[in-house]
Amino acid sequence: MKYLMLLTNPTERVESWEKLSPDEAQRLREEELPKWGAFMQWAQEKGIQLDGLELDTGSTTVRKPNGDAAVVTDGPFPETKEVIGGYFIAQCEDLDQAIDVASRIPVAETGSVEIRPLVER
Amino acid sequence: MKYLALIYGDETAWSDLPEQEQQAMYEQYRQFSESVGDKIVGGAETAASNTATTVRVRNGQTAVTDGPYAETKEQLGGFFVFDCGSADEALALAKQIPGLDHGAAVVVRPAYVEEATA
Repeated sequence: MKYLMLLTNPTERVESWEKLSPDEAQRLREEELPKWGAFMQWAQEKGIQLDGLELDTGSTTVRKPNGDAAVVTDGPFPETKEVIGGYFIAQCEDLDQAIDVASRIPVAETGSVEIRPLVER
Repeated sequence: MKYLALIYGDETAWSDLPEQEQQAMYEQYRQFSESVGDKIVGGAETAASNTATTVRVRNGQTAVTDGPYAETKEQLGGFFVFDCGSADEALALAKQIPGLDHGAAVVVRPAYVEEATA
């Protein structure tokens, strides 16, 4: 069974990162890297397939409110207190295993991980 | 460069659609995927948001709650991952996503690119 895992951070946390200088941001990232490396290594040892991306903070929303013409706005949708910072697609045996995987993703300690089963068609 | 296109819609409206109209929608998605070809490098439909589980870890304790992290009228219903040359191209692809004609909103997010280190 495949699960989408949305890695979300509280908005305030993302806003505080955006105020950092490039050097400070890079230092913070490097501090976090060992945790991510340990998580990825754990998944590999368990044979859990993971595929994902880290997302940049930019966000553009497209809608067609009146039929044909697409209207493009800057900013995310929906407006929530948490911002998606990345995702994984994980191949897991069941939801229990997916929860175990999600609880080991470093973001779970500061934000949350939303698990969504994928429809296999 | 990779871009994530998240598709949000009113899932009650979707589940209320007759089977035939749902099939027609899937057909539109198949045609979209075919026309875009190898610029789509990933994507899937997510099961209804009532199957969502949210996980948080605080002070070493795992808290598991049912439901998505945000209770909103429009919920994530699926996504595409595009691999294309520019943000403009990603946006042009996103504008063709069939759900937009049925009231969906598509959010396009660029992937973070690690700065090249010499």
